[in-house]
Amino acid sequence: MTAIHAEQLTKVYGGTLTRKAPSLANLTLQIERNEIFGFLGRNGAGKTTTIKLFCSLIKPTSGQGYIFGQSIYDRTARRFLGYLPEQPYFYEYLTPRETLDFYGRLQGLSAKERAHEWDRLSELLDLRDIADQRIRGFSKGMRQRVGFAVALVGDPPLLILDEPMSGLDPVGRRQIRELILRLKEQGKTVFFSSHVLSDVEQICDRVGILAKGTLIRTGSLEELVGMKVEIVEVVAAGVPEAIREQLTGTARSVQHQGETTAFSFDSVASANTALKALTQSGGTILSVTPLRETLEDYFMKELERALGKPVGAAEENE
Amino acid sequence: MRVVAVAQNTLRESVRDRVLYVLLFFAAATILGSKAVGRISIGQDIKIVKDFSLASLSLFGVLVAIFVGTNLVYKEIDKKTLYTILARPMHRWEFVLGKFCGLLALLALVTLGMACVSVAYVYILGGTVTVTYGYAVILIFAKLAVVTALALTLSTVTAPVVGAIMAFCLYLLGHATGIFLDLPPQLKGSFTETLFRVLYYVIPNLSNFDIRAEAANDVPVAFGYVFWALGYGLGWTCFFLILAVLAFEDKDV
Repeated sequence: MTAIHAEQLTKVYGGTLTRKAPSLANLTLQIERNEIFGFLGRNGAGKTTTIKLFCSLIKPTSGQGYIFGQSIYDRTARRFLGYLPEQPYFYEYLTPRETLDFYGRLQGLSAKERAHEWDRLSELLDLRDIADQRIRGFSKGMRQRVGFAVALVGDPPLLILDEPMSGLDPVGRRQIRELILRLKEQGKTVFFSSHVLSDVEQICDRVGILAKGTLIRTGSLEELVGMKVEIVEVVAAGVPEAIREQLTGTARSVQHQGETTAFSFDSVASANTALKALTQSGGTILSVTPLRETLEDYFMKELERALGKPVGAAEENE
Repeated sequence: MRVVAVAQNTLRESVRDRVLYVLLFFAAATILGSKAVGRISIGQDIKIVKDFSLASLSLFGVLVAIFVGTNLVYKEIDKKTLYTILARPMHRWEFVLGKFCGLLALLALVTLGMACVSVAYVYILGGTVTVTYGYAVILIFAKLAVVTALALTLSTVTAPVVGAIMAFCLYLLGHATGIFLDLPPQLKGSFTETLFRVLYYVIPNLSNFDIRAEAANDVPVAFGYVFWALGYGLGWTCFFLILAVLAFEDKDV
């Protein structure tokens, strides 16, 4: 059984007369158990709409979705998920301890279970020092920790996180990444949206790219970006002029400055041939760097293909 | 269980709101200040105190019901606190009913507290109260339940300012439905008469809950009437709550 299964899920906002372009069109997607799935897209691409559909905050215009086999129309599906909205909002007059107790009651937990959940989650998210302070004065990072704790109340097997790293400093982002990886180790499935591609690249098993409400690609990072080396950069010192001129014919570019020369080659084979020539001529190899396509490169390329124009010129639709 | 959790949380939110204490201060000041008005009417001061107390209890209760009630659901959507709540395995009606019960519990506390203050004040001034005074307080509370349910319904479909204006207009009309059937003879058989007759039946008659004059003058009121008025209030409260649940059930948040 898959953790999330969407079948032709579509959402169009507005009434009959005020109907807008679909915010999400015919989304068909499967997320396996114990997977970390990154949902990518620009602002307004439909990421939050998708998440709201899975959490039953909005109703689909057409299509069907399932959480661990239960229809998203059925409230029991929400037993299996924990949700962290972008910039989570909680009752400002409550403390983290009261907040977790409240959500535990909504989850249907007994007083004993709620006390256990507080012990578990306050330890996991380091909430003990702020347990009895009102949320009103909390920083973004503290609120995010409370938000994670709320999402984890009841130990749901699926976590749906909307831009969980948004607005956090590098330390906060690193903590969230580590937490997501720890949750995967515990057997959880994590579905999260983001536009911070480096974060996605570091922790996701698979990603999906959304553009203007349409899912344009899904796959593992290897499938999408591939392991193919695009360019090899070789930096050497003391390269004789004759060799430099000889390699200019095979290199993509050559930059000479003082004692050092930087070559870039289109293939590993031509870089190997050059390395042999360089060492035989008495040159010193300073570095060899194979460059692969990044997720960002791929994302931009796919986005431009989907939109049919350079991304900088694309219009925001939300 | 979930209804109780939402209700308790709503009550806690309201109790921690300073605006409530400002309103309570003015309500208490009105009750205590009524003695000054009573002095103007010689020998009527206790009656005036009772009348003023019940009037302020009703007025301040309605202000809390309308201004807090029209904010109840809208504020949760606006501040996005609703997102994490509705993502839990709960029915939407549980949320609506919980919000209603929470505010009603607050109004029960406010009504009871103010009623106790007013009764104590009457006794301090040397007067007494009869069971009619108790009935009057209970019927005011029943009216507040109807107004709260109405405000909550409006909160699910419109912004608080618009909702408050609409609720207040309906509240005023609700107190004036008696005149809808008592039109001048020249309107007999006209469209206006039909319109007012329809309005009479579609707007709750809030005058049914008003036995203030009887309570102030210690005139007995039959328990049967109180029972009927409570049933009338319960009917309208349920009607508005059903509307609120239906309006909220498929709402995109």
